[in-house]
Amino acid sequence: MSKLLPRPIRSKGDAAANSLWVINYFTACGFMELLPWVGSGYDMERFGILAVATPRHADVLIVAGYVTEKAVSRIKRIYDQMASPKYVMALGSCPMTGGMYWDSYSTVKRIDKYIPVDLWVLGCPPKPENIGHGIVMAMNAIKGGFGGH
Amino acid sequence: MATDKLEEIKTAVESRFGDSILSFDTKDGRIVLKVSAQASHEVLSLLKDLGFEHLSDVTGTDYIKDGEFEIAYHLWSHAKKIRAIQKIRISRESPVVKSIVDLWPGAQIHEREDHELFGIDFVGNPDLSPLFLEDWKEIPPFRKDFDTREYVKRRYYGD
Amino acid sequence: MATNNLEESEISFITIPFGPQHPASGHFHAKVKVDGENVVDLVAYPGYLHRGFEKLMEYRTHVQNTMLSDRVCILDPFSNEMAYVNVTELAVGIEAPLRGKFIRSIMAELGRILSHVTWIGITSMALGLESGTRISWGDREKIIRIQEILTGGRIYPCYYVPGGVRRDFSQEHIDEIFKLLDYIEKAMKLYDDLVFYNTTFMTRMENVGTLTKEDAIALGATGPNLRACGVAADVRVDEPYDGYPYVNVDVVTMEKGDSYARSLCRRGEIITSISIIRQLLEKMPAGDFKVKWAMTKKVPAGEAYFCCEAARGELCFHMVSDGSDKPYRVKIRGPSFSHALAIFPFLVRGSQLADVPAIYWSLDSCPADMDR
Repeated sequence: MSKLLPRPIRSKGDAAANSLWVINYFTACGFMELLPWVGSGYDMERFGILAVATPRHADVLIVAGYVTEKAVSRIKRIYDQMASPKYVMALGSCPMTGGMYWDSYSTVKRIDKYIPVDLWVLGCPPKPENIGHGIVMAMNAIKGGFGGH
Repeated sequence: MATDKLEEIKTAVESRFGDSILSFDTKDGRIVLKVSAQASHEVLSLLKDLGFEHLSDVTGTDYIKDGEFEIAYHLWSHAKKIRAIQKIRISRESPVVKSIVDLWPGAQIHEREDHELFGIDFVGNPDLSPLFLEDWKEIPPFRKDFDTREYVKRRYYGD
Repeated sequence: MATNNLEESEISFITIPFGPQHPASGHFHAKVKVDGENVVDLVAYPGYLHRGFEKLMEYRTHVQNTMLSDRVCILDPFSNEMAYVNVTELAVGIEAPLRGKFIRSIMAELGRILSHVTWIGITSMALGLESGTRISWGDREKIIRIQEILTGGRIYPCYYVPGGVRRDFSQEHIDEIFKLLDYIEKAMKLYDDLVFYNTTFMTRMENVGTLTKEDAIALGATGPNLRACGVAADVRVDEPYDGYPYVNVDVVTMEKGDSYARSLCRRGEIITSISIIRQLLEKMPAGDFKVKWAMTKKVPAGEAYFCCEAARGELCFHMVSDGSDKPYRVKIRGPSFSHALAIFPFLVRGSQLADVPAIYWSLDSCPADMDR
């Protein structure tokens, strides 16, 4: 019988890992593979993940895809407005190294020169299974005590 | 038939503007005409009256070896189903041309984009402020003397 | 009412930002000036997704550019590939074989259905009808799985090359496509109940953002936005390319020009696309699917223009080549450029603040297409 009851929240890490709220910011093409997570294909709500509208309610900032010079100051502002503890996830090869637009005069090549990044997911764009692997890795780390920043 | 319509337009344009029309091509059912820069606005106004009511695009190309910019106006007529492209050439040192917002209000943003990316001045356009780039300090980026790989290596991969 | 007694100096306008981070705006920024609930003015600030595509294409060969042209419009990659590949073929002087053209048109129509289903989801999210989002983005998975089986790529297929397509269809592929079409036809009945003929959707979209025929043509509207005002303009019928001369394309037009008419035009396009794919599959010829064209061949000097009908409107490519293996200049005319920057600020004046997302998504503008 006890197997059917929901597991009790024993620590702050448990609570944080099961209710990661993501800020609703449709950045760029890497975001296309998050649509199955929002929809009924992979469904992130069963993990407790919601998309919220204001940075003050959010725990996680997902930088999905390339970031232009014009957008990076806004991303930095959103990151500063989020309350601690917060986590940052970068999807795709563009925030890592510049990716396919390495020779573009208006994209930023390494996002971690502007904000600290906790989890990198590789792909162009990464498949939803890849993103799921990343989410589970993050949840386990947070349960194990990773405090974010 | 379609060729008759093309011939009618050719006669109407050439009879009114004569020498200002440098060439008038009707290959493949499309009109491509090269016009001198001073007569450009009047020729476009005549084409609009002849039924070319849809302006698709205002394109700029940098011919650095000739020292000129070429501007191409892409027009389409819904009634006649013909595409017309008018091209003019202006000097690269002082690129100034009259704006066509009085004929097509939708041309305002196309000219704003060409102003930012090439540096062409459209006289009469109400708003030529930067569209895509913020705090851009180099020369307009689509010119041929701007090498984007050299700029990126210097700015981002320098260290 | 107090307004009659207010002095001119006491009336003040507030400017509210719509995006870039907003649940209903995509990655697009606009400043909305309001007087209470009425919108007085709107100024758009694009550029958050600008990569300088046209400049990047000048540094890569034509086959490398087909991989880059996918990413011009994130929501509708097949149209951009189709336009780039066709304009290169016009510049080089080759023509794809008939089977290759038919395959290209079938994939382009599947891409159109995918784009419209994504549009249903994102409009429902902006209006607050969340169930439309969850269900349509789940159905999207089925179309993407077929795309993955046929082309190898989920989002960015990179399937077309100048001269044809990379791989051929087999009979199993064709059977899968027929099963998918049956599924979509059944799903349309669900979307009709849930979204298109839902009272909430109709109340929020009817008589909102009405565009007249003269304004639409003067500001550069194309695609479903123009057809909703009563103009039967469709590049697949006016200047047919690839497989379209061989099929019957049913152009859907509406009269009123408001947001609801635009939504019904898109619904009609899904049904037209299903019928086009069925006709193409029945008439599919046997034979080669591509013409051999070496990857590093030089393109003769000259210019080429090509227009196609993307899901959002008229997409045109203008290519200038100078005799080398890289293009000298490529100009992309994205359909969303005029819709979001010329028509959207014009339509919003005089409406209510809560109508701004409804009007924005009824125009279906893709911010990546706008900024390139």
